[in-house]
Amino acid sequence: MLAVDMSGDAVKAKNGSMVAYDGQMTFKKMSGGGEGLRGMVTRRLTGEQMTVMEVRGQGTCYFADRASEINLVSLHGDKLYVEASNLLCTDAGLRTGTTFTGLRGGATGNGLFTTTVEGMGQAAIMSDGPAVVLRVTPQYPLSVDPGAYIAHQGSLQQHFQAGVTFRTLMGEGGGEAFQIRFEGDGLVYVQPSERNTVGGDV
Amino acid sequence: MSAPVIHDPMTLPSDDNVNSYTFCVELKGSQWFLQKGKMIAYYGRIDFNGIGHGRFDRLLRTSFHSPLHASDWVVAEGSGKMLLADRAFDVNSYDLEDGNLTIRSGNLLAYQPSLALKQSIVPGFLTLIGTGKFVAASNGPVVFMEPPIRVDPQALVGWADCPSPCHHYDHGYMTGVMGGLRSLTGIGGTSGEEHQFEFVGAGTVLLQSTETLMAEQATGAVPHEPGVPGGGAPAPGHGHPGQQGAAPRLPGQLGDLQRRFGL
Repeated sequence: MLAVDMSGDAVKAKNGSMVAYDGQMTFKKMSGGGEGLRGMVTRRLTGEQMTVMEVRGQGTCYFADRASEINLVSLHGDKLYVEASNLLCTDAGLRTGTTFTGLRGGATGNGLFTTTVEGMGQAAIMSDGPAVVLRVTPQYPLSVDPGAYIAHQGSLQQHFQAGVTFRTLMGEGGGEAFQIRFEGDGLVYVQPSERNTVGGDV
Repeated sequence: MSAPVIHDPMTLPSDDNVNSYTFCVELKGSQWFLQKGKMIAYYGRIDFNGIGHGRFDRLLRTSFHSPLHASDWVVAEGSGKMLLADRAFDVNSYDLEDGNLTIRSGNLLAYQPSLALKQSIVPGFLTLIGTGKFVAASNGPVVFMEPPIRVDPQALVGWADCPSPCHHYDHGYMTGVMGGLRSLTGIGGTSGEEHQFEFVGAGTVLLQSTETLMAEQATGAVPHEPGVPGGGAPAPGHGHPGQQGAAPRLPGQLGDLQRRFGL
């Protein structure tokens, strides 16, 4: 559960994720992920839908969603890439948007687009079990199972790695046929659980 | 909430837990067996190969003895650090020293090839023999108990050093017409705890702290022979021939748990 102390400022949170609050709060639904008309159109087009509410007021507001773990990410002008379904709450000052992720989405079943969060402030992301934060440096690239990936930040290039060989077709695959390889400089958030992915059983 | 710990290849532990739910294995040109799909991330250069890979013939002969179970396992080899996790369950590593341990098949995640994996005679369980480390998941932390002990079937994870596992039924529940009726219909009240597994002898029994079972992995078929439990061949005079092994078991299916627990 996430507790947010507010004094007249606002946060953007996943619609319906408020579980309790004390003080004075107003909740306002924001269509299109709070990105205005352009956001509404791109989110509809990309299928990266996100219903967001703006919470404004004085006091403490508590957010939670399906008992999943909540991880706080501090952003200092850099960009966080996260699946819309894993984003719980952001500071109102952070800009959110959508971006093309490339091939990875196809294997994770999460669509070809992902949500970006940008600016200065904090964002809360959700994971099934506490997330492990892994640093990627140019010397140490990282490979991640698409089902366990939840978010990344920093300047990272991601490559989609497919180790599908004729053995996979014969049912003798390595079980880890699809991986996302991160190179560059940044952080990757991984959850200790795997979503069911199209590529998961290969 | 405190700031998250950021791990890199230097700070990740070697063959130890990162947190309760994630385990880090360090490979230095060595090999590990792991169940398919339990790797969540890795640094370095690691190859994952299905067990049918020809190069592993010798390795398999010494460390893997479940012929038809092979498609669920892969061999990781290379150098680097690899993170293992399973559906956000608790993960722990155990060291065996010239010992043996039998574990529910769905709970085992990975093991060193210095251990030999064999099917247990008890259906749905696997036995590890030898010296080495293995990683197992459980729903909630694992509790170690000394026999003699009676445990709830759903809480049992495994046992080490061969105590004798057997069924135990509460006497009053089993006897008489009324007892039989109760067990069939549930009328008259059952506590749900009339059936236990009993362990006696020297050894250790591993329990998880919930009664939620983890999905069972198929352990592979056993030879169709009379006298082999779960072998599918009707024993002479067996009451219900053809019921055992009647339907092919799908991976991830609970299998014949129900029948095993006498429900």
